[in-house]
Order: sequence, then C-alpha cells, then structure tokens
Amino acid sequence: MKQKKNKEMAAKPSSKAISKAEALAVHLISGFGLSVAFWVAHNVHSITLTSHPSHTLCLIWVFECPAVILLYSRYRKDHEQCSYFKAVGRGLLGLPAGALINALGAIVLGAPAGIQYLPKTINWSLVMSLFTIVPAASVFGSSWTDWQRIFAFTKPIEPVDYMICLPAHGAVIGAWFGAFPMPLDWERPWQEWPICVSYGAIVGYLVGIVASLGFILVRQHVKGD
Amino acid sequence: MGKRIWIPWAIMALQVVAILLFTRGFLLTRTELPFYSNCSDVSQSPCSYSVPETQNRNDTVDPNQQRCWSKPAVGRLVIIVFDALRFDFVAPSTFFQESKPWMDKLKLVQDMAARNASTARIFKAIADPPTTSLQRLKGLTTGGLPTFIDVGNSFGAPAIVEDNLIHQLAKNGKRVVMMGDDTWTQLFPRHFEKSFPYPSFNVRDLDTVDNGCIEHLLPFLYQEDWDVLIAHFLGVDHAGHIFGVDSMQMIEKLEQYNNVLLKVVEALERQSAPGGLHENTLLLVMGDHGQTVNGDHGGGSSEEVETSLFAVSFKNPPSSIPSEFDTSSCELDLDGRNICASSIQQLDFAVTISALLGIPFPFGSIGRVNPQLYALGVGTWNFEDGVGNSQNQSKLEQWMLNYANVLCTNSWQVKRYIDIYSASSVIGFSHEDLLHIADMYAKAEERWSLTTKKVLSHEKESHNELLPALKRQINLYSDFLASVAELARSKWTEFNLKMMGAGLGIMLISLLVHFLAIKKVKEEYGFSFTSSGDSGISFSLIFSCFMVVMRACSFLSNSFILEEGKVACFLLATTGLIKMRYSIMKKKMILEALVFLLLITICRFTIEVGLSKLAPSSEIINAYLSWMLRITAGFPVWNIVAEVIPAVSLILLAFLLRKAITGSSSEGIWKYIIMGTNISYILIAMHWASESNIFNLAEVLKGIGRNYIPRLIYAIGFGQLLLLAFNQLFNKGTSSDCSKVLYIKTVAMFSAWSSTLILLLGKQGPWIALAFVIGGYCIMRLDNIELDAKDGGSWNTMLDPIPVTQWSLFAVCLFFCTGHWCAFDGLRYGAAFIGFDDFILVPQAILLTMDTFGFSLILPIFGLPFLVARLGQTEKGKKFVLTRLSLVYMIYGLIMATSVTATIICVTMHRRHLMVWGLFAPKFVFDVAGLILTDILVCLASHYYFSQVEDDALQDPFTKDNALQDLFTKK
Repeated sequence: MKQKKNKEMAAKPSSKAISKAEALAVHLISGFGLSVAFWVAHNVHSITLTSHPSHTLCLIWVFECPAVILLYSRYRKDHEQCSYFKAVGRGLLGLPAGALINALGAIVLGAPAGIQYLPKTINWSLVMSLFTIVPAASVFGSSWTDWQRIFAFTKPIEPVDYMICLPAHGAVIGAWFGAFPMPLDWERPWQEWPICVSYGAIVGYLVGIVASLGFILVRQHVKGD
Repeated sequence: MGKRIWIPWAIMALQVVAILLFTRGFLLTRTELPFYSNCSDVSQSPCSYSVPETQNRNDTVDPNQQRCWSKPAVGRLVIIVFDALRFDFVAPSTFFQESKPWMDKLKLVQDMAARNASTARIFKAIADPPTTSLQRLKGLTTGGLPTFIDVGNSFGAPAIVEDNLIHQLAKNGKRVVMMGDDTWTQLFPRHFEKSFPYPSFNVRDLDTVDNGCIEHLLPFLYQEDWDVLIAHFLGVDHAGHIFGVDSMQMIEKLEQYNNVLLKVVEALERQSAPGGLHENTLLLVMGDHGQTVNGDHGGGSSEEVETSLFAVSFKNPPSSIPSEFDTSSCELDLDGRNICASSIQQLDFAVTISALLGIPFPFGSIGRVNPQLYALGVGTWNFEDGVGNSQNQSKLEQWMLNYANVLCTNSWQVKRYIDIYSASSVIGFSHEDLLHIADMYAKAEERWSLTTKKVLSHEKESHNELLPALKRQINLYSDFLASVAELARSKWTEFNLKMMGAGLGIMLISLLVHFLAIKKVKEEYGFSFTSSGDSGISFSLIFSCFMVVMRACSFLSNSFILEEGKVACFLLATTGLIKMRYSIMKKKMILEALVFLLLITICRFTIEVGLSKLAPSSEIINAYLSWMLRITAGFPVWNIVAEVIPAVSLILLAFLLRKAITGSSSEGIWKYIIMGTNISYILIAMHWASESNIFNLAEVLKGIGRNYIPRLIYAIGFGQLLLLAFNQLFNKGTSSDCSKVLYIKTVAMFSAWSSTLILLLGKQGPWIALAFVIGGYCIMRLDNIELDAKDGGSWNTMLDPIPVTQWSLFAVCLFFCTGHWCAFDGLRYGAAFIGFDDFILVPQAILLTMDTFGFSLILPIFGLPFLVARLGQTEKGKKFVLTRLSLVYMIYGLIMATSVTATIICVTMHRRHLMVWGLFAPKFVFDVAGLILTDILVCLASHYYFSQVEDDALQDPFTKDNALQDLFTKK
C-alpha cells in the first residue's frame, strides 16, 4: 500500500544529479568532520564524550555543521530558483528547528528534563539535527512533498535522497537502541543521558552512510547495465 | 457466536492450571503459627529433667522457679553482629587456597581461638538464603526457615509475630539492650529495654551506625542493668556494597572492628573474676550473612551463606567434649598456632542461645542445640548446682547427660511444632514424611526412658555402659532433628523444579492455543493484518510483535523491572511516534497524534514523580517539593487550585459521558446509568470537600460524610453493574445498529466503574480517568487513519494489531501513573479504608484489588470495544463487528499472556538471583494476579458484549466451529 501511494508522489527530478564520487566525497567529509571533532576533543581539550558529554557534543556539532550545510546545499532541489547561499541559510534555519523536534521527541521518549540536563540535551539535539533535519532542509527547503516522501514514506528515489534518508533514519534508530542500556544498574558513567544515546546515534549514522553509499553504487550499477 | 464464548474460558482454565502449578513449585509458603512457648510447657515433655533433682534438691527450691526449660548456663550475653561478615574475614588465611588482602584482619579473634580452644571458638555459620539482613535476623531469632510468603504476616509491617528469641528473653525477664541497625527495632518494636537504633538506609555512609554502636557499647559493658546486649555494626556491609570486599575501605573497617573487639574483650576480661560483673558472660561475634567479593548478598551462593560466629566465654570448662560431637577442622595459622573452626547452622542459633540462657525455646524453631557452642557455656558442665551428688560421675558424663537432656527437650519441642503445624496449616507435610519423623522420634523416646532408668539404677554402681548409652541417645536425637530440618528445608526453601517446569510448559501450550485460536478465527472470517490481505505479514504486525517481545525481554533484567513504567512509556511513545508518522503520511489527524504524544509525556512525568518517591535520596525532587511547599505556603491560591482541578476534571468527565450518550440513542436504562454516575461524581466532590478544610460546609458534612458517602458511591456503582447485568439477561431487544449498541454498552460500563475507581484513587482519580478517555479516543482515532482513507472494501477485514498493543501498553503506563509499582509496598493500603474504619477482610481485599488493577485492567478490558465500536457503520452487520471484537480481545489476552510468560521464564532463570525475593517474586505475584484477573474480565466482557448476538448467530451456520472445538478438545 505504501508503494502504491509513493508512486504518485515521486518527485520530478530537477536537481543536479550526483555522481558516485561526489556521494562518496560528501559522506567521507561528514564522517571526517565527526572524527576531527573527536580528535580535537581528545587531543586538544583532552576530554571524551563520557567525561564531558556537553562539551564534546558541542565540538561535534561545531565541526559537523559547516561540513553538512555547505556540502548538502550544493545539491539543493530547486536549483534554478534558489541560490547556494539561500540553501545555506535554510540549513542554518533548519538547525535549531530540527534540534527542537529532536529534543521534543527525546523528551516524549523519556529523556530527563531537569535543568541540569539542559545543556546536554541542547547539544545532543543540535547534533541529531545535523544528522537528520539539516541536510533535508538544505536540499528540500520548504517542499513539503519531498519531506513527506523522505521521512514519512521512506521512499528515496535519487542518490541525494538516499544520502539524506538513510543516515537520518540510521541516526534515529541508533539513538533509539542506544537508550537501552540506560536503566541497567552497571553504574558506568556512559549510561548517563545522553552519552550512550549519542554513541548509538553516531553508530547508526555511520551505518546509514555506508548503506546509502551501497545503495547508490548498486543503483548506478544497475542503471549502467 | 454463542459457541465461541467458551474460548476465553478454555484459555483461562489452561492458564490458571499453569500458574497454580508454577506457584506451587516457586512460591514456598509456610504458615506462621501464633503459638508461644511457655516455661510451664516443659512439664508435658517426657524429658523429666527432674529425675535426679527430686532426689537431691527437692526440699530446697521449686525447680520451675529457678530454671525453665534448661538450667541457665550463662549469666549474660553480649552479641556483636557485624553485618555481612564473611567467613574468611575471621578464619585464618591458611584455611583458604590463597591469601587475600582482606584476610587475617581480625587478629584478636584468631589470637583468642589459638590461645584456648575450649573457651574461644570460631564457627563457620551457614545461613539459609535469602541472605538479606532482615530475613536473616528473622531466621536467627525464630530458629525457623525464611520463605517468601509467611502467611499471617501483615505485608506492611515487618514486625515478627512468630515466637522468637527476643520475645522469650523479654517474657522471661531478661533485659535486652540493642544498638546499631534499626532493622532490629522494626522487627521487635517493643521488646528492648533500651535501644539505640541508627538508620540503615544510607549505604554510602560507612560510619554513622558503627560510631553510634561504639559510643554506647563500651559504657554498657561496665553497667549491670542488662542481661543481653546486641550491637549490630553495618560498616562492613556498606563498604562491600559500595567499594567491594577487596578495597581499602573494607580493610580499614575490619581493622577498626579489631580495635573495638580488643576493647570489648579487655573490658569483659577485667570484670570476669569470680563475683565480677562478667563472671559468667558469653561473648558472641557473628555475621548475619556473608557477601560476594563484589559486596552483593541475598542469594544462596557459598560466599553469601557462609558467615562466621566467634564465641568466647571467660571461664575454663573442665574438659572438652567427645570428638564424636566435634565437627571442627584445624589448621596451623601463619604464626604456626593451631586454630580450629567448627561449623554451625544459623538455624541452630536461637535454640542454642535459649538453652544456654535457660529460657523456653521459640515455638517454631526447628534447630538443634549445637554441642560445641553449648559446651562453651560453663554452666552446662555441672549437672546441678549442688554438684556433690555423684562423685563417681565424671565431668564429661555430667555434660553428656545434661546435653542429652537438653536435646530431649529440644526434640520434644520440634516434634510439637511439626505436629501442630501439620494439623493447622493448609499446605503441610506429606503423610509419609510425617510418619517417618514420628517413627524416629518414638525410637529416640523409647531409648531415652531406658537411658534415664540406667542413669538412676547405675548411679551408685560402675557405669561403664553409661557413656556409650548417652552417646547413642544423643545420636538418635541428633538424627531426628537433622531429618526434620532437612524435611523443612526441602518443603520451605527449595524450589520444586518439576512443578515449575510443568507450569511453564502448560503456560507455553496456552500461548500456542491462544495463537492458534486467533489464527483460526481470523482465517474463518477472512480478517487479515494487512490492508491488501495477501501476504498476512505487515509492518504493523511485525512492529507490534517487536514491541511485545521487547517488553517481554526487558523483564530479564532486574533494572528493567525496576524501571518498568518508564520502559512501557518508552515503548508506548515509540508506537505513538510511528502513528504520528502515519498521520503525517496521510496528512490527517495530526492533532490527535500530537495530543497522544503529549499525554504520554505527561504520563511519563507522573511516573517519574511516583518513582522518585520510592527513592528518598533523590535530591531534585526533594528540592522541588520543598519549593512547591514554599509556594503553596506563600499563596493560598495554590491550595485552592489544587482542590479545584480535580473538581473541574470531574465536571469535564461528567460532561463527556453525557455527550457520549446523547450523541447516540439515549433511551432506557443507559440514561439512568449515566445519571447514577453523575450523582456519584457529585457525591465524590462532596466527599473531598468534607475532607478538605477550605469550605465551611465541611463541618456540617464531617459527621455523616466520612463513611456513608463512599459507601453510597460503592452502592450506586454496584447497582449500576447489577442493572447492566439484568438488562443483559432479560432485555434481548434487537437493535438496528450493533456498532452503536456496543458503543453505548461500553460507555455505560465505563461510567458504572469510573465513580468507584475515581473515589479509590483520590484526587488524582479524575485526571487519570480523563487521561484514559483521551488516550483511548486518540488510539481509536489513529487506528482509523488508514481505514478512513480507503473507501469500503479491504479495511472491513483489516485488523491492525498496533492499537491493541498501544492499548495494553497504555494500560501498563496507567498502572504506574496511578502510583503503583510491582511490590507489596506499592499497594495503596489507604484506598482500602475509604468508607471503612475497621479492617474487614473481604470488602477491603476487593477495594484494594480494584484500586490496584482498576485503571490497568478493569477499565481497559471493558473499554476495549471502544476500538471496534466507532469503526464506522459496517454493512456486514453484528456478526462481523463482534467477531472483530472477539479477535481484539484474544490479541489483548495474548499480549498479556506473553508478558506474564516472560516474567515466569525470567523468574525461573533468576530463582537463585540476589533480588529474587525482593524484586522478581513480587513482580511475579503481581503479573500472575493480573493475568488471572485479565482472563476473568475477558470472559465476563465476552458474555456482556457478545450474548446479544446469539439470535443472529443462529442464522449463520457455523460449520467451522466444530473444527475449532476439535482443536481445543485435543489439548
């Protein structure tokens, strides 16, 4: 039933096509941003996600933010009407909006809402926003049908759809599973909110990246044949 | 359809059998007897201790006034309890394979044991699990075995009602002084002459209890206004919990204890000269249980059950006991000294101490007087105070005679307990076991009469035969006592794995039957879980199964059980988010999805506040509460708001009910039922008004209001239910629209139950009821998202399992929202006393059940037709709607049964777990009670909702019913 619905909604391809190499580069750079953030946290500030979750998450989004926004804005859908800078602006707008959505979702699911958790929650949701909402905001802008297609129907068509859809879903599902160890009584520091959830989200995001690359390769391979 | 109604009954029967079997194997029960031993009882025993006495001292004093069951052998007793004292803390490291840093720290104990083995002795004391302090103290003082359910014990108060050592001490005029762990004062609230309790809750605090003990202990050793002194130190236990055994803190604690013991022994020795304060004092240093290297205890592993007991008397006994009774093993310690360690069961503690102090043995004790510990009491070496009677009797013989006599009394007391227990208890011992025991006792008894004769006749002659005869006698008694203890252990503390396995097996079969029944009915009527109806497996089915399995798996860990409410909320929120996704997909009912998510969030915070009340250490909540209190103090407006909000939600609820009924055909009894509910709501408001002190009318109502208003509300509710039942029986009027009738019936049922449940829940009641209605509405609306989108056709036969899953998760959330949790202290006893001042078992049990399961079982199950009724008017008629309803009921039942089965499996796996009695067993009891109640309610609901269709059913030939019936009769 989903498939039937989705066929009607298939968007007309209007954006710049994305090649295998470009997709690889985009994903590599976003992955690189993550690792640079961790490297800086570890070597410059000598902190880890477990010891200073708020600070480290802040570093992650600071490093990841330009990479994601600048890269994804290049593949904006409405190429003709929308300038590159407008797309960057959309991405910047999407950052707090997506953070709000993620934070609300986390609180519905049971994230602690006390004042002392506020900085952690804010930084975590900014990171999550970069994984999920921001790329879509840069690429799709206010095109509701595209948003619906990616996030409600999970029906990616073009390579850039895969690049948005799979890592985003991966990050959310990873974060969901990452919450599981939290109630256990192992009394490890990483069981605190939002450390293991962040680890789960990052792992899910990376898996999503690999999956998206795989899909793009397979698809282009099939098309080439 | 009439035939279909037996399906829930069949499933219920299977589940009840399974649960009964499993419970018989798992929950060991023992009835607490309300009897107490008295001094005068001993005259009924065959152990005529007075045989030699009548000859010697009959003229001087009445023996019963001097001594009771046995001759007091010890004047004063100092018991120092070190909580969680492992055996290897006390015994020399040479006893163990390798030396660990925490060994050999209690040097003093080893020195004393090495210096004189006949006055100081190390025992390995073996505890019976569960090895938690409270259970162990209970076991130590009653001499009985702990079980999960001590029938007759009131769940709330832990005070021991059985006969016990402390009770006997107090009754026989011994002055008991207690200091340290406040568990003692909880167990024995009125027994102590003086007590210095310190809170045992704060595990992180290593010193408060210990310092308090030390502060009081030493001065008391120089006072003479006590007979028994108990000092319970907690530091080692706490250090183990926090830092583990292999830690600096633990070693520091042990060294501190060594110093304390040094001072205590010095004080006692200084006063132990003849005529001194401690001339005849026995010092016991003991643990109540052991601990693992990680500091855990509660389970039955050897590290946890092996604790130690160190006993010193400050007088030399004249001889040592025969080697047959000496179970000790000896090793050279690091300094090359010979140190012996004997073994004792904690079960034997109460009776041995009673024998030493000369007080009656606790009625329910099944222990045996331990020979080595008994021999430490110097008094036991003299048969009578006027020793001179028989110079030809060696000291050893005197002791043996004395010991045999005590064992005789001991055996008689145990036999009396077993007899009375099996006569009065429902679940007693088997007949063969009892016969075997009686036989052993009779043999020992017979021998005893021979032996005593021998003692009399051989008194003045050579008595070469006396010693062997006494030994045989002692062995006979010991065998008898050992077999009683073994029998009691197997009945009271060992799991019956076969029964548990059988129960689990039947439970799994019932799940399979449940599943097959759903499948059968589904296929019979062409329902499917997908809209297209081809594959039979859809995302929603997989997702629901995943959620149910997730929840079931979460019971495998104790932490998840502790946080069960949050886990349920998490899963419910996930389903809510998935539904949100659907509604975005269809661009419909986004508002409902949002409201539902908001509701879940509110539920979640309610649960968290409820949970934080459990943990008193939660600082944020305390701060928050005090902040709230300050606000309320500042502005009386808040008080009024707190009073008004429940009233507003009550009015809202009444309005909703009225609206629900007027929207449909409001005729006949439905109108009266809603009216009755409205009156009840007004009465509830009046009841609350009478309890609060804002309104002045409170004074007027106070006299009549307190008990009569609640009772009136119960009566109205009961009347409404009766009315509904009668309507069901006699009014078979055929209605045009089955869906609508179903809807009205559901509303009527809800309104009939709601008033009572709201009253029981108190001020939070209206809001919870409102949440229930809103949540149910949202689930129902969201269920219809896809259905409305399609036009006719396939949705009629589509059955989405997600709403049912949501419904059950929502019910679980409401259970925790209403301030319950799966433990006996999670029961809200206060609810049972609304409308009643005195304790009357039956009504209060019913009220408590209704309060506990009201919003988590009763309302959700009776409200389940809500999911079906508003589905839209189908063309296919009653039969169709009702089949759908029965499917929904079966799926709901299956979800419940799955989670209970998971609990059962987890309880089986964790039966030796540390928390089995603290966490898993209460959870099991709650789940099992909930499942049986669910089954009953599903059956009742089936009768209530389905019977009207019988006329219809006759028109449709149900040929396949027979096949289904065959399927079931095979089982």
